[in-house]
Amino acid sequence: MGKTLAEKILSEKSGKDVVPGDLVTVPVDFVFGQDGTFPLAIQQMEKDLGTRKVFDPKKVAAVCDHASPSPSEQVSNVHIFMRKFARENGIHFFENGDGICHQIVAEKFAAPGKIVIGADSHTCTHGALTAFATGMGSTDVGAIMAYGTTWLRVPESFKFNIEGDLPKYVTSKDVFLHIVKEITADGATYMSMEYRGSTVDKMSVESRLVLSNMAVEAGGKVGLCPADAKVKAYLKAHGRENEYRKIAADKDAVYSDELEVDAAKLEPYIAVPHRVDNVKPVSEVAGMHLDSVCIGSCTNGRIEDIAVAARILKGKKAHKDTRLVVYPASREVLAQAIKLGYIETLVEAGAAVGAPGCGFCIGRTVALGDGEKVLSTQNRNFKGRMGNNKSEIYLSNVPVAAVSAIYGKITDPREVL
Amino acid sequence: MALKNIKSKVLRVYPPDTNTDEVISGKYKYDELDLKKLAVHAFESIDPTFYADSQKVNDPILIAANNFGCGSSREQAPQVILACGVSCIIAESYARIFYRNSFNIGLPLIECKGIYKAAKQGDELEVDFKNNVIKNLTTGKKLPMKPIPEFMQQLLEAGGLMPYLKAQHK
Repeated sequence: MGKTLAEKILSEKSGKDVVPGDLVTVPVDFVFGQDGTFPLAIQQMEKDLGTRKVFDPKKVAAVCDHASPSPSEQVSNVHIFMRKFARENGIHFFENGDGICHQIVAEKFAAPGKIVIGADSHTCTHGALTAFATGMGSTDVGAIMAYGTTWLRVPESFKFNIEGDLPKYVTSKDVFLHIVKEITADGATYMSMEYRGSTVDKMSVESRLVLSNMAVEAGGKVGLCPADAKVKAYLKAHGRENEYRKIAADKDAVYSDELEVDAAKLEPYIAVPHRVDNVKPVSEVAGMHLDSVCIGSCTNGRIEDIAVAARILKGKKAHKDTRLVVYPASREVLAQAIKLGYIETLVEAGAAVGAPGCGFCIGRTVALGDGEKVLSTQNRNFKGRMGNNKSEIYLSNVPVAAVSAIYGKITDPREVL
Repeated sequence: MALKNIKSKVLRVYPPDTNTDEVISGKYKYDELDLKKLAVHAFESIDPTFYADSQKVNDPILIAANNFGCGSSREQAPQVILACGVSCIIAESYARIFYRNSFNIGLPLIECKGIYKAAKQGDELEVDFKNNVIKNLTTGKKLPMKPIPEFMQQLLEAGGLMPYLKAQHK
């Protein structure tokens, strides 16, 4: 019987011919955690297994990204706890300002066919590089750090066949928002979301990272894109061409569900509070005043996103009543953005550019005030997500966010650019 | 199966897609490693009296609709629920990571279609693991529950993933 991408990778890794529902134990190629989850993984390891020694330091990373640069003495102490463990073990350690774990792992570690486990729900991001990548909790990550293996239930697969050309100012973010609107926030629970079709083939790896990143917002376990020449080029650009392998789903693979997406019919969308699947075309919410616009995060903080924002904001100013906040996803992205002049453009437009990290997305280093409304390029608009229960979070793609910053209200770029 | 039946009162009934940011806000979890201190903030944003009320009932039960625990991978979510003394959660369905995290730390999650409408705050329930039935002792209604998978039962019996693995690797 033909295999989906998930079944292929898990068969190879487990050494068994797997079918959905099987429980398999697999070696883990890369495991990581961040400052909100890694300390608890260390604690669990130490308390229950009586060890602080990792199975293979080359395959483990700790990233200070969620509350970074540290905003309080408590967080600083948490970071000290992580640093001490990292030094003891000689694992990869990423400091305040190095960037968001998912961007760092995409640039330096993820590759086709690898099993990547992170103590962060958006670990599914690495499916864009055809890694079987999924988020777990701290105990699982602690156990993997000690033993180097984990158990996985082989997921059913959901095929998203995306065909056609995306209209101007419509991005992969809108493709995902359309999908989650169609299938809802638990429409792909426990499943492998497999994105394919001519639209995906044409997309940059950076754009595919958005589709894979948001898989968890529909309940997905992984969000996989095919390994193709673009993945090879991405790895080459990061000095890792030798890690490329071609992996594709079999033609006769069996999917438990399928959705056809006609890319040409999509529009820029907005996910309105407080649910990611509460999706409306931008025209329905256009005109709403914004107190803040945030560009960045593990969803849309890559160089192609910063480039689009800079192009739209060049020679313009963010509206006087609207704060523009930009957080590049990694040090590499920031360095490139400086070299290409994007940061100068954004700063001149009035943006507060922060050190690479999660910044605004979880309300730990940048928070909203009472009653404020924000348009953000992140992946979640849950109540209180940005540090305040009495605020509202709207989600969009980068062109909508950038143009809305100029007008100080939700604005359809197709109307004004 | 060796799981002991649970008989207790329903502390709360939560709506569809109750997420981990609502269970424990990100603003606390980055600067507090003590789960008992974090527990006082459980459900704070949607239910400010949750913690105080949880301390007035022995081994309370939480009821929820579909997709309970969606969102972040933060294990602090099931940890604070456990730290509040909750004996089990019964929901229509769960998000994947929350499901895994809960069994890893020894918190039983039970899937039961129809429970969201069939149980109210204050009702007394009995979870019968032998017959896979939820009995609402207040209304007399009985609902079948999905049997807990064998592997998850083993985790619960061992006291969570770490003790389970420790025994395996001996």
